[in-house]
Amino acid sequence: MLDYKSSSESPTPCNKPTKMSGKNTTNRKTLGRGICIITGASKGFGRALAHEVFHLLEPGSVLLLVARSGTLLQELKEEMQSFTDKQQLVVHCVATDLSTKEGVNETVKVARQEAVNEIDHVFLINNAGSLGDISGFESLTDLEKVNSYLSFNVSSPLALTAGILQVFPCRSGLRWSVVNVSSVFALQALPSWALYCTAKAARKMMFSVLAEEEPNVKVLSYSPGPLDTDMQEEIQRLTGLSYRLFPCQESAAKLMELLLDNNFASGTQVDFLEV
Amino acid sequence: MKKNNPTMSSTECRDLGRALCIITGASRGFGQTIARNMSRLVKPGSVLVLVARSGDDLRALQAELAESEAGRVGLVVECVVADLGQPDGLEAVVRRSQESFSEDLDHIILVNNAASLGDVSRYVKSFTNMAEVDSYLSLNVTSSLCLTASILQAFPQCPGLRRTVINITSLCALQPFRSWVLYCTGKAAREMIFRVLAEEEPDLRVLNYSPGPLDTAMKSFSDMFAQGQLLTCEESCAKLMKVLLDDNYTSGAHIDIYDL
Repeated sequence: MLDYKSSSESPTPCNKPTKMSGKNTTNRKTLGRGICIITGASKGFGRALAHEVFHLLEPGSVLLLVARSGTLLQELKEEMQSFTDKQQLVVHCVATDLSTKEGVNETVKVARQEAVNEIDHVFLINNAGSLGDISGFESLTDLEKVNSYLSFNVSSPLALTAGILQVFPCRSGLRWSVVNVSSVFALQALPSWALYCTAKAARKMMFSVLAEEEPNVKVLSYSPGPLDTDMQEEIQRLTGLSYRLFPCQESAAKLMELLLDNNFASGTQVDFLEV
Repeated sequence: MKKNNPTMSSTECRDLGRALCIITGASRGFGQTIARNMSRLVKPGSVLVLVARSGDDLRALQAELAESEAGRVGLVVECVVADLGQPDGLEAVVRRSQESFSEDLDHIILVNNAASLGDVSRYVKSFTNMAEVDSYLSLNVTSSLCLTASILQAFPQCPGLRRTVINITSLCALQPFRSWVLYCTGKAAREMIFRVLAEEEPDLRVLNYSPGPLDTAMKSFSDMFAQGQLLTCEESCAKLMKVLLDDNYTSGAHIDIYDL
């Protein structure tokens, strides 16, 4: 059985940590002067990622927070405000529905407006996703329901990633990082979870192909572990199961560490529970 | 000891029972070959439901099978000209299958073969049009999921009724290839659908069969992987039939022709 490791592992000048990870005044590694886009940023893991990432961005960086809820995004922006103001970070709240092409295009448009600035890192975190119907295979007879689920969970991150790649074409001196928020169920089949497993498997493959195509883009599929989110609350309510959940902050911090260390092979999947 | 040759007539002891066999993408290529092979391996009184968008090609195949030995001893061949990406197309297949079913049938076989290659000359960064991706996933992923769910709902588990679901998969379900994002993504998604199904329904026999690089209209695939060593549909289909007849594969497993 073939594994999912991409063969395009060799580091390129754009990805050498010593060149591209800047150091701030306390000599910690940073994510450079970047444009960072986080989808599904209003709650759960996306929100925790926003809280982790802004500490690691250098002055002049831009953070795009994307979700449907303008209210929650604005709250998030205000939570970070004193730091982001001091650190000269620009934060944009993009309240839009990524299950629509208008939503994807709106996000790309906002990113494009920021393309005039001097940045050395484009950092896209495809986190937005949904659980879908987990009641069982035989409830999946409706074409529209399945199409709609795949559109949001597969087509949307593909189109968004493509759009952002076109706004910021690879060039020497530009570090490019893409994160796919994945799951153990991208690799493992779970009964009743056909939609979720299928979309996660599709995304894992999609981002692995990207890694094969673009040696200058560092691609990471990150499985964050079972977290204390609304999604897990729904899962536990629907299944009646109860199991340990990890704080989003812990998993988000682990992801940042992985990105700063930059030791993973592009296209691979890393699991929070195994690092 | 009886010769173990799956291409012999139905008087041999190895056969797939008295079956209702639904085959998508049956009008040409591998689907057409599956239809021919199935016709030889099912008992008299069996029904083949052939599904494709091309009515002319399906009817030609139907005529061919009606005149074959299997046709002459009682194989029924139905054609459903349908777009499985449309609700009415899907419903038409389910309805025809239900109408064709009779209590003396002991095996339901669904072959999810219909698929498309997508544009294999373009990189991920070119897929900015969400509708294009939606359309590809609809044909290649959604339709096979919904058809399978609908057929299983129409023919629930029942004593004396075997049910087999086959997904025609690919090496591309397991391994990424540059400029092949749609095809790889669609195949990876499909394979996972059937792996989940296998986990969920232990009485069901689920097979992910990877046929290898074939001499069909899906030529780019063959050019890329075959390096001149194309397989005929017959060769690959014969192996598939043997796997089905032996019936000792692990449900949900990915079986590649080169494993056999």
